[in-house]
Amino acid sequence: MDLNKLRETAAGIVSRDDVKYLIGWRRGTFGYRAAPYFVEDAAGVEELIFSPLCISNLAAYLTLVEKLPVPRGQEPDQRKVALLVKGCDSRAVNQLLVEKGIKRDQLVVVGLPCPGMVDWKLLAEKYPETEAPVEISWKGDDFLLLYNGQEIVVPRAEALAEKCRLCRHPNPLISDVTVGEPVQPWAPAEDSGVAEVEAKSTPERWAYWEEQFSKCIRCYSCRNACPLCYCEDCILDRLDPTWVNRAVNFSENTAFHLARAFHLAGRCIECGECERVCPAGIPLGKLNRKLAHTVREEYGFEPGLDPEAEPFQASYKPEDPEEFIL
Amino acid sequence: MTEKPKLGVYICHCGINIAATVDVEAVTEYAQALPNVVIARNYSYMCSDPGQLLIKNDIKEKGLNRVVVASCSPRMHEPTFRKALQEAGLNPYYLEMANIREQCSWVHEDREAATAKAKKLVAAAVAKVRLLEPLTSREVDAEPAALVIGAGIAGIQAALDIADAGFKVYLVEKSPSVGGRMAQLDKTFPTLDCSACILTPKMVDAASHPNIELLAYSEVEEVGGFIGNFEVKVRKKARYVDVSKCTGCGDCAKECRLAGRFPNEFDEGLGKRGAIYLPFPQAVPAKYTIDPEKCLFLTRGKCGKGPKCVDACRAGAIDFEQKDEIVSFKVGAILVATGFDVFDPVRKPEYGYAGYPNVITGLEMERLVSASGPTGGNIVIHNGEEEIVPKDIAFIQCVGSRDQSVGNEYCSRVCCMYTAKQAHLVKDKIPDARVRVYYMDVRAFGKGFEEFYDRVRREGIRYVRGNPSEIFKRGNKLVIKVEDTLTATPLEDEVDMVVLAVGLEPRGDARKIIELLRLSQSPDRFFLEAHPKLRPVDTATDGVYLAGCCQGPKDIPDTVAQAKGAAASALIPLARGKVAIDAQVAEVNEATCRGCGFCVSICPYSAIELVTVNRMGHMVEVARVNEALCKGCGSCSAGCLSNSIQPKSFRDRQILPQIAALGGTR
Repeated sequence: MDLNKLRETAAGIVSRDDVKYLIGWRRGTFGYRAAPYFVEDAAGVEELIFSPLCISNLAAYLTLVEKLPVPRGQEPDQRKVALLVKGCDSRAVNQLLVEKGIKRDQLVVVGLPCPGMVDWKLLAEKYPETEAPVEISWKGDDFLLLYNGQEIVVPRAEALAEKCRLCRHPNPLISDVTVGEPVQPWAPAEDSGVAEVEAKSTPERWAYWEEQFSKCIRCYSCRNACPLCYCEDCILDRLDPTWVNRAVNFSENTAFHLARAFHLAGRCIECGECERVCPAGIPLGKLNRKLAHTVREEYGFEPGLDPEAEPFQASYKPEDPEEFIL
Repeated sequence: MTEKPKLGVYICHCGINIAATVDVEAVTEYAQALPNVVIARNYSYMCSDPGQLLIKNDIKEKGLNRVVVASCSPRMHEPTFRKALQEAGLNPYYLEMANIREQCSWVHEDREAATAKAKKLVAAAVAKVRLLEPLTSREVDAEPAALVIGAGIAGIQAALDIADAGFKVYLVEKSPSVGGRMAQLDKTFPTLDCSACILTPKMVDAASHPNIELLAYSEVEEVGGFIGNFEVKVRKKARYVDVSKCTGCGDCAKECRLAGRFPNEFDEGLGKRGAIYLPFPQAVPAKYTIDPEKCLFLTRGKCGKGPKCVDACRAGAIDFEQKDEIVSFKVGAILVATGFDVFDPVRKPEYGYAGYPNVITGLEMERLVSASGPTGGNIVIHNGEEEIVPKDIAFIQCVGSRDQSVGNEYCSRVCCMYTAKQAHLVKDKIPDARVRVYYMDVRAFGKGFEEFYDRVRREGIRYVRGNPSEIFKRGNKLVIKVEDTLTATPLEDEVDMVVLAVGLEPRGDARKIIELLRLSQSPDRFFLEAHPKLRPVDTATDGVYLAGCCQGPKDIPDTVAQAKGAAASALIPLARGKVAIDAQVAEVNEATCRGCGFCVSICPYSAIELVTVNRMGHMVEVARVNEALCKGCGSCSAGCLSNSIQPKSFRDRQILPQIAALGGTR
């Protein structure tokens, strides 16, 4: 990855009058962390990075921005937002466009072909987190760690994040400019996480999810990090009628997670942010990916591939299968 | 609601329909004890005048402000009771019905369990009725015009009636000429008048009527809108002949390089036509059409040294540059008269239709005996070896009707009589012919039918009760294997010709009309009427009416009667000039709507659009409902992720207490 090229492109974009800021990543303050980074001027691009640690999906910030009331007599800020996207992130952008969550003309998309991200928790088993930031880069198919001043090559299979093992679209599907050469897509691995749950009997599966959902503290991190969970007034927060009670217990937690999963069916682009940010370690990816598999296999639909696609949940074909539904 | 709810609950016996299975007294007693219920009563027929009077009097005397009627389906009597509320001065939408007939007494046998269920249904209605909101229905103007799809006898008759009443009619016909199936028939049973003689004047009238715009060789492409305000797009297919110039002289067809090369659809393939053709001599409009799939010039871009039709046409009417044309217009009502297909006997291989040229269908027989047919009305047939005048002729009834093996359980209603008619015509033309009819039952139910059946038998035509099992060839004869079931005798009958009395089936392209107009099908796959007895020409889509065989097999008198009935129904919105808009429509909460447009895609009535609104200085898109188009179906609500669109009277806060009363927890 030619960081200079990225910084140069980013500087050009943030210097434009019609661009408010660029959302990218910079080095975190310790260990294996990369942090979201809002670049507002050309000087800021020096801190911009793109490394195997940039796993977070920044598309969520497009809709997280609060639309403050515009004082009378003033115009709302119509400047564009620039966003760095990997393949998976670009699918979120496409899906947001499909459901009119953002407008294309208010967006500058910088595409970054992605060779795959590391799951730092896998790395930390062998190379524990340090106080100082760890540098990681791609070296061929593998990862190169600069750990306590020492260069270590970590084989790809040892550290590649789960979502990247399953990845089918490493190259951005939408972008205004692309930095770097397209990568050769690799054969996606079998989704062992989903297969493992599917192999369970119904009572076993129930017991499994009971254990998982019982851990939930309802911090709503999954909802906040999800690029496609962005209703300003979430129905799970409403009081009349109260679909989900405030109580944190297995029953209400289950209602919350199932409602969210169904709302994401045919919309989830499998970026894995929900599971990554969960402080309780609930494997939410398995739940959402299961629905994504079903949508893909039964209806031949994959969200986020085409910004002009008809929204899956709002389209109907007479030949749509239904025999597998309950 | 600011005022305290005061409920009246009325439980109907529906004679014994409900009372025999549900203990109405117990339900009444139970309802009386429910919260806010001022009065609970039961009565033999709530929908009757005295029944309605009970409700009206209670509203006035006891000051009721909400009413629950526990009786039949709201599809049956909701309008009745709403009217009663309105007449007593109460908002008609303060009514909730509990369906204790279709959903309780009719489907249960155990009186105790059915009574318990009826109580729950009543409690659920009571829980909901308190939360209902007052609604006001509105009226919009209706377009004083009608669309008639299909110009067979049903479509022609309906179009003429509507046009005669003074309204504009767009008559759309898929094929190049109007006339439909009736134009193919020779004589009509039981009176034996000539089909063409009685139909042709009507075809001409339909084409020349000042109020009828005939769109022949055209297909309906798109229908939007609703009763009173349908927006229609019709594709006028290119004929490659300028109809304003074509005189119908036929010189082009004589010269066509492919003249006589293709089976003529009108003659059921017994006659031949060229690439440019007039379907039959009496066609209306009498204009030639070039078949774009056959014409050399259109398929290969080359026809000899140049298309001969162009040289032959003295009017200069041939126009290979012609393109399909889309015509748009608005109508207030739509009449569907798309007709039927005949059963294809290839699906009954035991009758050998595919292999033996002297096994033909009833419709082919019509062309064979018709004076305007390919043989000029002479019955001659090829038996595989030579052309003969058949002397031994058998008819087989119920081919593709009353036959579960081909998926058609129904009786096609016309085959018995057209067979009798054709048998008579054979005897008429070949007096020394031996004619047998193999039948299961003879259904001669119409006016003059039984008399005609008797007459035919007196003419020496033998009716043999038995369903043939097989037809095979022996020498130059066909052998029919059959058991005479009246004498229990197995027979083998050697004949020169077999006529299969094929039944009627829904059209192969019916699916397109179903999707266009949101129609339903009955189990026999014909279009479904709104009610089999009381609304036989209406459909579930308001403003769309049915006529003729698209709704089910029928003969010409029944078809014409139904067409006239459908025309009268279609005239109601047209003549009134207004249609009522239901008040139970969807409503958007613009404050929470995120403008994703899912509801816009989902809405089957195209009733929702996105509009831009100012939200705190930001211009954002939100959904908005066109109340005139909305049917209150609630599909939008099911698809809305932020729960920002809900049908009035079926809002979550109204139906959740109802569900809770049925046994939910909240």
